[in-house]
Amino acid sequence: MCAWKYKRIMPKLTVDKLKLMKPKRITGLVGMSLHHISSVLENTSYNTQISEVRSKELTSISLEGALLKNFIKTYEEIMELSPKDVRLLLSALLMKFEVNCVKAMLRAKKAELSVEEAMKYIIPAGRLDEASCRKTLENSESIADVIDLLSDLEYGSVLEKAFEVYLEQKIFYLLEVALDRHVYYKIWKAIGKFWGLDKKIARTVIGLEIDSVNIKTILRCKAMGVSENQIRQYLIPVSEVLGEKELEEAMSGLDIQSTLNSLVKSAKHALARDHQYVFAELQDLHVTSLTTLETVLDRGLVETNLRIIKRYTPFFNIGLLLAFLNLKWFEIKNLRTIIRGSEARVTPDRVEKLLILQR
Amino acid sequence: MSVELASVHPTRLELIRLRHRKAMADGIVDILKKEVDALTLNLLELVKKITPLRGKMYTTLREAFTLFVEAQMTSGSKRIEEASLVAQPIDFKISDEQKKGLLGLMFPVFQLIEGNQILGPRFNPLDTPANLDESSSKIKDTLYDIVKLAEIQESIKILLEIIATKKRQMNRLQFKILPELEATIRYIELILEETERQDAIRVRVLQRKRKELALKRGT
Repeated sequence: MCAWKYKRIMPKLTVDKLKLMKPKRITGLVGMSLHHISSVLENTSYNTQISEVRSKELTSISLEGALLKNFIKTYEEIMELSPKDVRLLLSALLMKFEVNCVKAMLRAKKAELSVEEAMKYIIPAGRLDEASCRKTLENSESIADVIDLLSDLEYGSVLEKAFEVYLEQKIFYLLEVALDRHVYYKIWKAIGKFWGLDKKIARTVIGLEIDSVNIKTILRCKAMGVSENQIRQYLIPVSEVLGEKELEEAMSGLDIQSTLNSLVKSAKHALARDHQYVFAELQDLHVTSLTTLETVLDRGLVETNLRIIKRYTPFFNIGLLLAFLNLKWFEIKNLRTIIRGSEARVTPDRVEKLLILQR
Repeated sequence: MSVELASVHPTRLELIRLRHRKAMADGIVDILKKEVDALTLNLLELVKKITPLRGKMYTTLREAFTLFVEAQMTSGSKRIEEASLVAQPIDFKISDEQKKGLLGLMFPVFQLIEGNQILGPRFNPLDTPANLDESSSKIKDTLYDIVKLAEIQESIKILLEIIATKKRQMNRLQFKILPELEATIRYIELILEETERQDAIRVRVLQRKRKELALKRGT
């Protein structure tokens, strides 16, 4: 492992990690007005984007947009300073946000929105900047046209295959599921290019994220009575811990508890320590609410990222980089929860239940 | 009333006819009272159902809205708005039938029918939170309560109209028709009494005159 490849990025990450808001500071914003929250955020790393939001347009949507723009900007800065192989993984991870632009364009065409209305939903990321998205929207009249215009990116070919299924079944989100699955497969393939400790860390962190997505999907679909054949269409069976066989076992569980039991068993079998911590907590809580389960899974991801930083030296491996990006993302999610909760006048205790903070 | 009395023939036959009419009117008033009582009881039963059903509807709607806001909090308002643009719509139809109820009255029966059964999630399960599905499902449950409430309210409206009509009929009978009949009967009785009295006097006078004549002839 060439540790020195991280020499440029590590100082920036160390400083940026110190700028992350402490949990106490985040919970201190619960129940505050939007004006107060924006004035607190002006003294943080979100300063530039928050200042651009004019006070008369201070809504949860404008603040949320500012936070997301900050995240994309931070991401792109980190990508620029990262070594080549890490940049490949980061560009694959950035596709999660790029693909949101594609989904927004497809949804806008399906809903027959004007270009201006559609652009409100687009947060440019990666290769899909504002100009290219606007051009795509202006030059297309239908979903098929959007897919044609995206043919220079890999999304075009992914959507072409999914489009036939969409025409047959008339279920729009199958296009989105195809994009999501493609992105996660691409991310997992990019991890394969690493070796040694970097590969181990990346597989743990990103593997747990993908497994969380699969578990949420299985539990949610089972609660709705969706057939196993249909659930299989939504799953991403790439992880070493929850591969195809383990996911099939989880799907065959009669209720949430039996599904969780099979997940704990799979994690123990794969000797996946971090997975065991998360699944065992889910098992012990005996929760039946899907929302609580999702929050616990997300919290598990936060704690795993923090454990990664403590377990391995923070420097000279990919651990700090991935952990920082995830922690930054969860910070934005928490701020978004607090901001929308403030606007909708949700009680502070209800807001705090939805926050994803380390214990 | 004097004009009406003037047009009445003050005969015994007319008296009998009017007494018969009064007895019938009394009977109708009794029946109407019983009907109004029964309808009022039915109305109160329906009213008792409304409050808990309305409470249940508000509670479910509140929960649905809270879950929706929580979905916006966790995933972002824009994302949820986008998802709702392309969510699979559910077609609902309301069947409007009627069934016979109390006293043969026709009451509406509303039934909510889902036009298209959606097999599977309405939203992308990889991209949206679970509380969006929960919110959607609670809204669907509320629709059934709303339709049931509409049915009860329509039934109450029909009952109130019928009760008002019957009360008007009852009042007309009690305060217009019956008093008129009683007045007419009284009038005829008075006329007949007077006629009888005059007849009696005439008979007595005639008898006296006959006696006097007989006496004159005897001498």
